[in-house]
Amino acid sequence: MFAYILRRIASTFVVMATVGIFVFLLLHLSPGDPAAIIAGDNATSEQIDGIRKKLGLDDPLPVQFVRWAGDVLRGDLGVSIFSNEPVFKLVGQRLQPTVSLALLTLCVAVTLAVSFGVIAAWKAGTFVDRLLMVVSVVGFSAPVFVVGYLLIYVFAINLRWLPVQGYTPISEGILPWLRNLVLPATALGLAYVALIARITRATMLEVLEEDYIRTAVSKGVSTRTLLLKHALRNAGVPIVTVIGIGVALLISGVVITETVFNIPGIGRLVVDAISKRDYPIIQGVILIFSGVYVLINLSVDLIYTLLDPRIRYQ
Amino acid sequence: MHSTRRTFLGGAAGLIAAPNLSFAQTAPTRARTLRAVMHSDLRVFDPIWTTANITGYHGAMIYDTLFAVDENFAPQPQMVSKWGVSDDKLTYTFELRDGLAFSDGEAVTAADCVASIRRWSARDGFGQHLFRRVADTPVVDAKTFKIVLKEPYGLVIPALSKLDPSLCFIMKKKDAETDPNTQVRDALGSGPFTMNRDETRAGNRYVYDRNPRYNPRAEAPSGLAGGKVVKLDRVIFENIADQATALSALQNGEIDFYEVPPQDLLDTIESDPNITVQGLNKTGHMGWMRLNHLHHPFDKVEARRAMLHLIKQSDIMKAVFGEKRWKECGAFFACGTDMENDVSTEWLKEGQNIAKARDLFKAAGYDGRPVVLLQATDHYLANPAPLLIAQWLRQAGVNAEVAASDWGGTVTRRSNRKPPAEGGWNIFITAATGYGFSNPVAASGHAATGEKAWFGWPENAKQEQLRDQWALAPTLAERQKVARDLQANAWDYVHHAYLGQFFRASAWRKNVRGIIGMPEIVPFWNIEKV
Repeated sequence: MFAYILRRIASTFVVMATVGIFVFLLLHLSPGDPAAIIAGDNATSEQIDGIRKKLGLDDPLPVQFVRWAGDVLRGDLGVSIFSNEPVFKLVGQRLQPTVSLALLTLCVAVTLAVSFGVIAAWKAGTFVDRLLMVVSVVGFSAPVFVVGYLLIYVFAINLRWLPVQGYTPISEGILPWLRNLVLPATALGLAYVALIARITRATMLEVLEEDYIRTAVSKGVSTRTLLLKHALRNAGVPIVTVIGIGVALLISGVVITETVFNIPGIGRLVVDAISKRDYPIIQGVILIFSGVYVLINLSVDLIYTLLDPRIRYQ
Repeated sequence: MHSTRRTFLGGAAGLIAAPNLSFAQTAPTRARTLRAVMHSDLRVFDPIWTTANITGYHGAMIYDTLFAVDENFAPQPQMVSKWGVSDDKLTYTFELRDGLAFSDGEAVTAADCVASIRRWSARDGFGQHLFRRVADTPVVDAKTFKIVLKEPYGLVIPALSKLDPSLCFIMKKKDAETDPNTQVRDALGSGPFTMNRDETRAGNRYVYDRNPRYNPRAEAPSGLAGGKVVKLDRVIFENIADQATALSALQNGEIDFYEVPPQDLLDTIESDPNITVQGLNKTGHMGWMRLNHLHHPFDKVEARRAMLHLIKQSDIMKAVFGEKRWKECGAFFACGTDMENDVSTEWLKEGQNIAKARDLFKAAGYDGRPVVLLQATDHYLANPAPLLIAQWLRQAGVNAEVAASDWGGTVTRRSNRKPPAEGGWNIFITAATGYGFSNPVAASGHAATGEKAWFGWPENAKQEQLRDQWALAPTLAERQKVARDLQANAWDYVHHAYLGQFFRASAWRKNVRGIIGMPEIVPFWNIEKV
């Protein structure tokens, strides 16, 4: 087992090196020149060339790669070409809003989705079931930005209950923090709710057909205990799996949600960096994300052994 | 240690809160803080390193200038108290006014000014034009310096007070001695605001606090000149990338000022009783089209002339701005400026003539090669305009190809001098202020110096000779006369083509007062919230 973990950690470095080479080449071979963007609209070719030379962007690609890779190996992701701020610092500044949004979305979505799924399975074939499934289909089909604008229009512009945009750090109070995150978390969570609710319903329907459920019913177990203790627990594994798969969905949704609700998170940081070709930020953030993603996969694999003792890695 | 769910949650909350504890600092009240959404993210802090307008705005916040133009675009002393020129018109002497200090408390000296002027002149087109005639810039004493010329030059003061980027901002000597191709790291000046780096989050918000050491002039504010009296404690440039969100935030009172709201929604926001909609730049912007003079077919003057007859400005303006806030304009120096005239603008008065354009392309020997138009899909003008122009080109028998990318891709490709088939281009579109076009020397786009000229690389010896003549003309009337000759020549060899003049409006909450309307810069002094 220990050897397995070591092998997986070693393979993480191989994956990250591959990602690093791929991202570097993709960025530098695709159209776009940060020097031209820095110089501004009125700059001449001569001025742009001067900036390009000073930033080392006119060096051969292998030279630029070795320079960047050397810095990364020393633990330095570089500095933003535009703001001169270290990439680590910029990511650190943007971490809290993204983590807050993702966690809140996850909490709200899982709570709602599992409830919807359980109720829909319990009331299978009834109006409630169909209504919940219609809501799920609509939620999964509607783009995040459309839902976002509708929520802004209703709850911020018309009712004036919540702010349109922005982010308040949790250090300024839970309530202001929540006020800024309610709408984006709802917009982002809707697709997630739909995905989990449908899987929960399907799994619950399967479990509710099992013999031990029939036995529990005949023993006179209350509906609440039956659903939550006997059925939901046994339906948990596929639900947890789909929650894990949905994290990728959440990451892509965060980028759009942060733009619509003007949340200064990592998604916005990357989108802005791409638009201005700020190579160190793009490369740095993708490296960090890929590292985190690989480690999460490793953790998931290890958690399987805890959930099911029959699983053994050689 | 015994872990419970509660301690875990507490720890997680602490982890989330930790990176932003600095936000908890005491901030000025909402009534003394102005939140503004500007036309672009502030990407670069050095206003000499880049020509980006937004960095010019930043520069006007934290730096000051020796001279500045008033609301009539007339240069007025700003940091300078007294100045004079020798009888032979070769030596300009400047004396700084009392009480000028950088925001760290150090006095502004003549040595700071000379170093700043020299760095600016290494980057800026107008500065370069001036410094080709500068023999020396001696420092006389702590408050006095001179500019000594090799030959008389009538635009010394207009150059030092120029309004379009890059402005001649005065920095500390140590900053001004930075290589002009390297960004200055410290955002420290002697202007009316200071940049609060602790509260600033690059890409998100840029925070400026009132500079308590700033010593404004006694005169009333006028344009960028006069007393820059700051009536707010803090101004924040919020970077809200999504226009609909920014507009909603303005309607909801979360921001106070929106420089360029979506122009197609102006009628809607004008009906909001809490919002003022008003243009700040009376010279507007000119949409313009650069033609690549290096390659077929626009290496032939007939093909360039064809473009003047092909463009229907009103269609492009309507497509972008609707029915209001634009006009057709054929003046090479933009309409509504001192240099406006209507010499050689028959092509505009006659209107679109596709048959004539087709004949001119034939006369140019157009051989059917694809004509590549760069389309920037994230640019308000360079997204729709190429589609219309491509259609007109096809009607004129030209094989038009639209190459779509984002603005970042467009600005990269436009610097490619190779033929279109090898990654170059034939036509690209952008916009600049009418004020910027009014000065043949300051506007880099007016240069016709071939390989050294702005993208499109037009070459015309007569144009260059006339630009120099304009710069040396001693009076406004004489400059206007040369401008007419310049325009006649420019429309004869077709330096570039215009797509129309438009006047974008800004929007702000009704309780915001005292906004000064100027092209190129939005000043944040004199503004108050009532």
